[in-house]
This record gives sequence, C-alpha cells and structure tokens, in this order.
Amino acid sequence: MKLTRRLTMAAFAAALAMGTALPAYAADLIAIITPSHDNPFFKAEAVGAEQKAKALGYEALVLVHDDDANKQSQLIDTAIGRGAKAIILDNAGADATVAAVQKAKDAGIPSFLIDREINAAGVAAAQIVSNNYQGAQLGAEEFVKLMGEKGNYVELVGKESDTNAGIRSKGYHDVIDEYPDLKMVAQQSANWSQTEAFSKMESILQANPDIKGVISGNDTMAMGAWAALEAAGRKDVIVVGFDGSNDVRDSIKAGGIKATVLQPAFAQAQMAVEQADAWIKTGKGPAEEKQLMDCVLINAGNADKLETFALKQ
Amino acid sequence: MTKSRKWPIIAVLAIALGGCKILPTPAEGDTAAAGGKFDPDAMVAKIWDAKVIPYLEQKAGPFAEVDALARSDAKAAGEKYGNPNKQANSPWTYAVRVDGKIVAANTKSRAASIDVDVDVDGDGKADLRAEIGPAMRGTALRDVLDFVNFNEFINQIDFAQYGKAFNTYADKTVLSKLPRENLEGHNVRLLGAYVPANGSDLPLLTPAKAEIGPSP
Repeated sequence: MKLTRRLTMAAFAAALAMGTALPAYAADLIAIITPSHDNPFFKAEAVGAEQKAKALGYEALVLVHDDDANKQSQLIDTAIGRGAKAIILDNAGADATVAAVQKAKDAGIPSFLIDREINAAGVAAAQIVSNNYQGAQLGAEEFVKLMGEKGNYVELVGKESDTNAGIRSKGYHDVIDEYPDLKMVAQQSANWSQTEAFSKMESILQANPDIKGVISGNDTMAMGAWAALEAAGRKDVIVVGFDGSNDVRDSIKAGGIKATVLQPAFAQAQMAVEQADAWIKTGKGPAEEKQLMDCVLINAGNADKLETFALKQ
Repeated sequence: MTKSRKWPIIAVLAIALGGCKILPTPAEGDTAAAGGKFDPDAMVAKIWDAKVIPYLEQKAGPFAEVDALARSDAKAAGEKYGNPNKQANSPWTYAVRVDGKIVAANTKSRAASIDVDVDVDGDGKADLRAEIGPAMRGTALRDVLDFVNFNEFINQIDFAQYGKAFNTYADKTVLSKLPRENLEGHNVRLLGAYVPANGSDLPLLTPAKAEIGPSP
C-alpha cells in the first residue's frame, strides 16, 4: 500500500515535472488550419470542424495559412506551442507540408489531413480526401454530354502546388481526350482565384471567340469565368465547375453555370475531428491513413438539395 | 484542483506514447512506388491473366443473383461478390457474370455501350448497360479487386492512372475486338465488375471478358 502510494506520487511528480512545459488548457485544444476563408469551401471545412470539435467538448483554434507554406509552418509551431492535442489541416502544398506535419508528429501531435494529400505516408495520422479523380470524371462526363461530344473548349486549372489541381485536370482529360472532336484551345491556371479567372477568361475569349465550353478545376474559377462570359454576352458557353458551392448552385438554378461536382467538405472536416477525438480518447488511429470520399454530380436536377457543401437527403 | 490537473497530463503522456505504436510503417516493396518509374499499364498487363481474370471468375455471381442481394443487403453482397476492403464512403462494386441478349446498342458515342436483358425468359427489357469502349468511365475493375489498396500508392494521381489502366487493357485486348454493327438481338456473355444503378440509370458494367454470339 505504502509502496504503491509512493510510486503513484512519484508518477505524479514526474508527470508534473514534464507537464510544466504544457499550458494548463492543453488538454482540450484542437487546431484547425485551412487555406483562406475567402473561398467558401475552406470556410465550410473550418466551420464543420469547429462545430464538431466544440460538440465533442474541445476548444478550437482556427487558423488560415493562405496557401503559404512558410506561414503554415509557423502556424504548426503555434499549435505545438499552444499544446494542441490534434491538428486538422487542409495543407499548403503536397511536398512543402511533409516537414511541417513531421514536426507536429515529433512533438507528439497527430495531424488529420483533409481535402489535400501530401506526398508521404506514415507522417500524418489520417489523410481524408475527396476522390477528386472520380469527381473529375463525373464532371467531365457531364461536360462531354452537354457539349454533344464536339467543339472547342477551355480548361482553367488550379494552383500547381496543390495535388488536386493536377488530379482534376487528369480526370477531366482521361474522359474528354477520348473524344477527338472536342478540342482544347486554351489551358491556363487561374490559381483557384475568381478574379484571376475573370481576367484570364476575358483574354482567352478575345483570342478564341469560337469557344463552346469551359471546364474549370474549381467553383470560384468557374464563377470568375462565368462573370467574364456574361459580361461579353456569351451566356451560350457551357461552364462546368468543381466543389459544389452555394454560389454555383445558385448560378445553376438561374440557368448560368451548367454543372459542378460536390465534394463533401463539411462531412469530411467533421469526420477528421471524430477521428482526432478517437485518437485523443483511445490512442487509436483510423484503420487506414488514406481515406477517399466519393463526390456527387450536381446539375439542374439536384441543385435544390445542395446547401453548404452537403447534399440534403 | 491539483488532482484534476494531474490526470489530464498523465493522459497526454499516455496518448503521446500510445500514438507512437499506432502509426503503421509504410510498406515499401512490391507496390506502385517500387522500381523507380511508375508504369500502371505494365502493372496491369502483368496481373491481368495471372490474378485479375481468376479473381473475377472465382468471385463473380450471375447478374440476377448478385443484383438481388445488392438491392436487399449491399454489404452482404459486397462481402460475397466485391472487395470488403473498399474505401468506406465509396459505393460497392460487384464481380458479375452475364448471359443475356442485347436489346439496345449505342455505338454512335465514343463511350459505346450495349443494354442487356438477362432474364431467363427474356422480357425484352434491359437489366444492365455494359460499356464497350473505346471511351470508358469509372474504375470498377480496379475497385472490385481485394488485393488493390489505395494506401500503397503515393497519391490519387497514381491510383487513378492505375484504375484507368484496367479500362485501357480491357479495351485493347477484349472490347475493341467486338463487332459494332447490328448488335440488337445477339446473345452476349460477359465477365466484369459493376456499380449498382444510381437513380433511374441502368447498372453500368465494365467487362473484362466479352463474347458476342452470332445473330440468332
């Protein structure tokens, strides 16, 4: 009895000695780090994760890295310094992020990645990502159908450092390139940005007035392209996006943009928090590090059911 | 107060230590990353006859049986005819064999397809659509295989290219050799994988083996 008690006390003392390095509120903090909330997609992720974290009794630290890998590294330091128990991260680059996530892991903090992958396995506790290839194929199949399997088109590509830009483009082309009468007359990156897509679309349209369609790597670029087409009186051009934002939903309902592909961003962020919670409570990670979530085609037929990156049943 | 502070700290330590054990070491070796250059077409060519066809032949059930079970209990059907290790959120993909009659053909589209009636008596109504290329959609052939694991690929791009390589191989070695004219009324025998119908669409089957019989 006495010995047990002494050992217990020793354990407490040791724990306290090590524990002094940790701030008092460390026990229940989850850091949520995403790109800028200017894009409603990332905002939905942050809101979904924060809601779930609070519902499970955690404090949430919501941060944005603005797609800057250096800033992301500093934010990971902040999360470590604040003693976060887990990090939910939509990262700033498939290669650049590996070191930052490793740094958190070395500090004993698991990272649960959402939306974007990193080019390493065994560093993050989980990588829960949308099946961008499957989604891109859905979007491209709809695009091909709307185009009647022929005509000139433009592709707007996302930010190059993001794996999703490449995978969506690949998914589009694996479908579209099967149709020799569909001709891509311009392919440009607008870096996921609405304003950049607007100006790029304006100049593409000047050089190629004969375009019939635009396929875009995400919804914000699709909105920018559509605004430029509308301003030029070219509402006949078929535009297809990717993400499933409320903006594009409204455009579809108003007869503007024709289709998009929903990524379950909200559910994905919540799932990441649930897995972080399980890790914190039981020390158990998910069965598989990499987890794919399927995307859903959104067009005039089901746009009504779309709300904040989730489909109402 | 002091006591309530100590416990969480011990919990932190326990989790930190526990966490060390949990992360699986990524398996290097006989996966996509091995041997330097990633060549999905060669990877598929290497396993097609040795593993893919035997797997489908062993796992597949007759369409009517598979589809009936898939409708009543998707999970049970998936475990019996599909890949039980599939991604949790993905739809089930089932291995299936089809003996039926072509009731409609769309060979004008590059994504050509045949609609097949598999009823024993033949009610003349299509029960499924089989894609016959050259443009093919989906990754059913990849997804039905229980020995393919996304976690063994560096990223989605490699995994996607691997999925595409199955369709390319099926098109090159099987589907491109099928006749294209006046297909209605012919008997057809298929072995492949399909994803159940979504809404009003027919179930879409990707064949790995296909024979179209002579005109009746």
